[in-house]
Amino acid sequence: MSKTKKLVVMALLTAVELTIWVIEGQIPPPIPVPGVKLGLASVVTLTAMKLLGRKEAGCILLGRIALGCLFAGSLSAAIFSLAGGALSWCVMSALVGLFPEKLLWVVSVFGAIGHNLGQLLAAMAVTGTPGLIWYGPALLTAAIITGTFTGLGAMYLTRALRAYERRQG
Amino acid sequence: MKRKTLFWAGLFALLAIAGAAVYMLRGAGTVAVVTVDGQEVDRVDLTAVAVAWEKTYTSERGWNTVRFSPGRVAVIDADCPGHDCVRQGDIADGAVPIVCLPHRLVIEIVD
Repeated sequence: MSKTKKLVVMALLTAVELTIWVIEGQIPPPIPVPGVKLGLASVVTLTAMKLLGRKEAGCILLGRIALGCLFAGSLSAAIFSLAGGALSWCVMSALVGLFPEKLLWVVSVFGAIGHNLGQLLAAMAVTGTPGLIWYGPALLTAAIITGTFTGLGAMYLTRALRAYERRQG
Repeated sequence: MKRKTLFWAGLFALLAIAGAAVYMLRGAGTVAVVTVDGQEVDRVDLTAVAVAWEKTYTSERGWNTVRFSPGRVAVIDADCPGHDCVRQGDIADGAVPIVCLPHRLVIEIVD
């Protein structure tokens, strides 16, 4: 992939991820536990990690967080996004090479757990309330369920995009 | 390949069930504890609440109005940007605390 094409694809994926993230924010969460959401935007991050590389996926994620905070517009949201995103990226970067593509959903689940853990630690640090750790088990269950589905989504998207690339020659 | 898939699916299923179990079992408790900026400011026994009453907690960051009802507690209004705490509604058990991050206000229910 040429440098220019790569840049264009990265910009495109950032826009896609931002759109998904903003729209998802408008949908009420399926269960009334704050902080629990599907995390559909991570489909794009994981796909980028598979198709372009870890660094590129990190850039897309950072771009989405920066732009997302302009739209959502609060500093605490930025701290949360960064804490969750950074930990999730670290975990997925470390694991993505260790699992075959068929098990991409496992990487995604660990990434989702990392994301929720990062947000939980940020919440504990910001509010100075260590008791929030009790919130952890619920977030773990949520991460496993949502991570499985976003991971499967990323796997199918990766396959589809590769097939498309091949057809284009 | 199939064995590995089964292994991970099984492991995650177990973890998910364990997480949900801990979450649901941690329900007991009747005392609402209000914490602002890491400092406990109020402790209300919700079983002793006969008629719902409200109190506004103000700090330099902003204010939250909390309603204590028989067995339940909720943030009903606040001047924070997100209103996540208000949207959460009433909590009646210790499973999930109410957290208003911008104002660093936490309401938990403990024994």
